[in-house]
Amino acid sequence: MNIKLTSLACLIGFAVSSNIMAQTELEKLRSEVDALNKKAKEWEAFKTPKEKLQQDVNKLNSKAREWEEWKAPKTLVHLAGFADVSYVDSRDDSGTFSLGSFSPIFHYQFAESFMLEAELEFEIGESGTAEAAVDYLTIDWFINDYVALAMGKFLSPLGQFRQNLHPSWINKLASAPAGFGHDQAAPNADVGLMVRGGYLMESSNSLNYSIYIANGPTLEANGNEVEMIETPGLGKDGDGKKVIGGRFGMFFPEPKFEFGVSLATGEVSVRGGSSGSYTYDATRDYDVVGMDFNWRPGSWDIRGEYIQQEIGGQSSSVAPDSGKWEAFYVQTAYRFSKSNWEAALRYGEYDTPHPGQDVNQTTVGANYLFATNLVGKITYEFNDNPNTGLTAADRLIVQMAYGF
Amino acid sequence: MKTNLIKIRKTGLASLLFVIGLSFINISFAEDAKSTQGDFARGARSWVNNCVRCHSVRDPKELRDDQWITTSFHMRMRAGLTGQEVRDIIKFLQMSN
Repeated sequence: MNIKLTSLACLIGFAVSSNIMAQTELEKLRSEVDALNKKAKEWEAFKTPKEKLQQDVNKLNSKAREWEEWKAPKTLVHLAGFADVSYVDSRDDSGTFSLGSFSPIFHYQFAESFMLEAELEFEIGESGTAEAAVDYLTIDWFINDYVALAMGKFLSPLGQFRQNLHPSWINKLASAPAGFGHDQAAPNADVGLMVRGGYLMESSNSLNYSIYIANGPTLEANGNEVEMIETPGLGKDGDGKKVIGGRFGMFFPEPKFEFGVSLATGEVSVRGGSSGSYTYDATRDYDVVGMDFNWRPGSWDIRGEYIQQEIGGQSSSVAPDSGKWEAFYVQTAYRFSKSNWEAALRYGEYDTPHPGQDVNQTTVGANYLFATNLVGKITYEFNDNPNTGLTAADRLIVQMAYGF
Repeated sequence: MKTNLIKIRKTGLASLLFVIGLSFINISFAEDAKSTQGDFARGARSWVNNCVRCHSVRDPKELRDDQWITTSFHMRMRAGLTGQEVRDIIKFLQMSN
């Protein structure tokens, strides 16, 4: 019995002492863990700002790369264009506000080799409905420093006004010169291939050229007369005859004086029927001759242009007679020094086979340049028909034009 | 008259073929030229001489650097500029921006 009691007491004593030792070990371990946690927190506190700093550096590097990308990317996209709004008052008609046009131009460029260019034109008609058109759409291939090939629908390179001066923020007056509007004496556009470029000469003078082959225009007959030569840039060569032509310009004897000569030749025919079922009668000769110059001494801008489209006769056509549409203008503009004001004066004539369409036109204008690409214009046209008994109405045009 | 017109067409076509042929012969030469960097001073001169042929001079700060690239190539087509003139003008516009 005593032995049992003694053994039990020893066992309890051993258990109690073991427990006390275990608790001591546990306390020691706990304090070690606490110390480690404290060190870990200190490490974290040191590590976090280092990572944040690294992240900031990465972000800045990324931004820098983006910035460099803007400066020299492989593909570029750019929206340009122009728009104008006007108030027009004519002697023959009541004054009216009008939306001239909104013409966005899209540029998509691939490196220094190719560029897609497209100019759309939106207009609001008398009934309020919008009309849209593609003024030009070309894919340009910059073959080398001196030659570029344009494929598609392009503005006619004949003369200067249609291809370079028609945007309202560029035109010094609020209207096109007589004979240089749509389907008048100056060809508007064509669909085909055009090669163009320039050469610099040692004398710092230069020459530029454009040569094209395209579908060409068509003729619109009214009764037994050709009413007009339509040059909108036809999507189909209905008469199967191409037109070739081009313009050569030269800066000579100084870089601020340019003289250009334009020529084109081919065959055209009268188009009948309606869209989808057009018919074309026998073809006839078609020729274009043009000359232009521009000169910029000091604050002056002086330019002029002559253009003529001529068609031959065709005895088997519904409209057999030959005809000639010709027009010219001379224009001068002066920008007053230290001022945003500019004055412009233009004289032009438009002569057609139809006496009722002929016009002698004197145009005066005053422009205020809010910016070089934002212009307010007041233009007055004195229009006269030179044929006895016929008249043409004068017009006042107030216009705001914006190039972007 | 008819004979004259045929002559004009033949001459025009010959000119077209000549220029196209010349362009391809020039390719190797032009590849060298392509690597030529733009020049600020030449660009300033070209900018003054060419832009005002048609419109008022635009402030270099009106557009971003990348926009001047597309605009200048667009003007190469409009004004018949050489590739070197375009590179010079871009250099001038970007450095003045």
